[in-house]
Amino acid sequence: MIENVQNISVESLLRYVHDMLFNGYRFITATSVDNGDGTVDVLYHFDKDLEMKHLRITVNKQEEIPSISGIYFGAVLVENEMKELFGLNIKNIVIDYGGHMLLSDDELEAPMARQITIINKDKGGVPQ
Amino acid sequence: MFDMIGNIFKNLGTKPATRCYPLEKREPFKASRGRVKGVEIEKCIFCGICSRKCPADAIRVDRNAKSWEIDPFKCVICGACVEVCPKKCILMDETYTQPSTAKDKLTYIQESKEESQSQAG
Amino acid sequence: MSNKTVIPFGPQHPVLPEPLQLKLVMQDERIVEAIPAIGYVHRGLEKLTETKEFTQNVFVIERICGICSFKHALAYCQGMESLMGIEVPDRARFLRVIWGELHRMHSHLLWLGLLADAFGFESLFMQVWRDREKVMDIMEETAGSRVIISTNQIGGTRRDIAPEMLAKIDSVVNEVKEDVERVEKVFCNDYTVKHRMVGIGVLSKENAKLWGAVGPMARGSGIAEDVRTLGYAAYNELDLEPVVETDGDCYARMKVRLREVYQSVDLIRQAIAKIPDGPIHVPEKGNPNGEVISRVEQPRGEALYYMRANGSKTLDRLRVRTPTFANIPALLKMLPGHQLADVPILILTIDPCISCTER
Repeated sequence: MIENVQNISVESLLRYVHDMLFNGYRFITATSVDNGDGTVDVLYHFDKDLEMKHLRITVNKQEEIPSISGIYFGAVLVENEMKELFGLNIKNIVIDYGGHMLLSDDELEAPMARQITIINKDKGGVPQ
Repeated sequence: MFDMIGNIFKNLGTKPATRCYPLEKREPFKASRGRVKGVEIEKCIFCGICSRKCPADAIRVDRNAKSWEIDPFKCVICGACVEVCPKKCILMDETYTQPSTAKDKLTYIQESKEESQSQAG
Repeated sequence: MSNKTVIPFGPQHPVLPEPLQLKLVMQDERIVEAIPAIGYVHRGLEKLTETKEFTQNVFVIERICGICSFKHALAYCQGMESLMGIEVPDRARFLRVIWGELHRMHSHLLWLGLLADAFGFESLFMQVWRDREKVMDIMEETAGSRVIISTNQIGGTRRDIAPEMLAKIDSVVNEVKEDVERVEKVFCNDYTVKHRMVGIGVLSKENAKLWGAVGPMARGSGIAEDVRTLGYAAYNELDLEPVVETDGDCYARMKVRLREVYQSVDLIRQAIAKIPDGPIHVPEKGNPNGEVISRVEQPRGEALYYMRANGSKTLDRLRVRTPTFANIPALLKMLPGHQLADVPILILTIDPCISCTER
């Protein structure tokens, strides 16, 4: 359904993003989607004169992702958000909140990712 | 600078834009979604569509106990239940919910026919 | 040369209607660096939408933001409609434009009032909000609620507007236009207002693009981008020219929003003149499957919705990128070099909506 999606590898991400900057694209945002099988899709959306272009990388949860905030400063907030809510391992964000932009210390780790919660009915249905 | 002074003098000469609220109340608009007033319980068939469509999980329908219950403090007054009700027996009112001192739920229980007969007899 | 001090600005501050904290690193009166702290109103709505049915999600999505609730629902419904291949009736598309533009009007008038409040012009603030009340009354009369009007649903709209009501809307928006023309003189010509805004927070065209600014902020810097020109809803049948100012300062951003009020009035009147008769809703069938991106122009700028469905009643993922989320990085880059006293005006001219940002 989405047009102009390009599937790329994690290693080539920075190169492609540099190309986008060079070609005068505006960074809209990034989206992460948990596929449910331990991998996460990360889509980077770009726009030029209202034409959209998307880059898609598929990573394992622990895999390192380079930050694009050095190229597009506008990616700072969204990369911090993905890091916190999906537990992605994004390296070298320009302003790195270290997982405390939205969440406090005593909250679940990566609350947006698919998690298996075991509910023990003997203990009154309290999630473990 | 004088533009605003003109406005101010104009406002001085006209009536206030606000009302003396508790003394003078505005008529609510006819189409306002004020609150879910309740249900015509005799018409209800306890299908439970309203409780499934409610985005706030405010409605609870019990087919066996023949009860229909709404939590007005959970209700977001979207009107989805009113639209989907097959019997059109959920009522909406244009006045807003009044403040309350207790978090009461609105419960309606349909009296079964035999019971009402036995009460009559 | 004095040491650097850190001044926390917010989360509670008279100019901020919503909680946003900026840690301002100051050298004397000048800002060296600004670091935002958000997360005060994060509600996890994106996660919530994964547990609700896709038809119920419309009501959840609307509650992301009060001021632009209609536009949020519109973006979601349009995405869903393109996923499920629903053709929306013509009348519904025009009704969406009318309500959408009413929302833009009331949002911009609200903002103008807040701006007047921020530079201490109480009477102007009251005047603008008083004019805004007329728009709010139309909203309640037609849709049933003042802010969260809940008139969108997948496949069309939930309510229709009667012809006599359309005529009334036409005359009321004209009245509002006259009211705004009166206060426009104050906003544009008043000596103190100009003194606070001209030349403050200049954002060049190149930087606006590089830092990803959207909406009136980008248009104030000379970028003629408006998602409405893509022609969603009925915008393809209406005359629409993006409002552009080139100075890039606070004054330019204010002028963009002022002129957009007139543009909205114009669009509403065009839509009322052209609205066809017919049904307002087609029922949806089956469940959505696949992924889709939908964009709309909100009062604050472009919003992007990404949806992935799996053929069941619930969605796999719903991602919302709201305009303020894109404008905050540009704000951070703009702040350094300004005086502390200019910070309220600067923050306000991006029209921050923190509830949108954190969802």
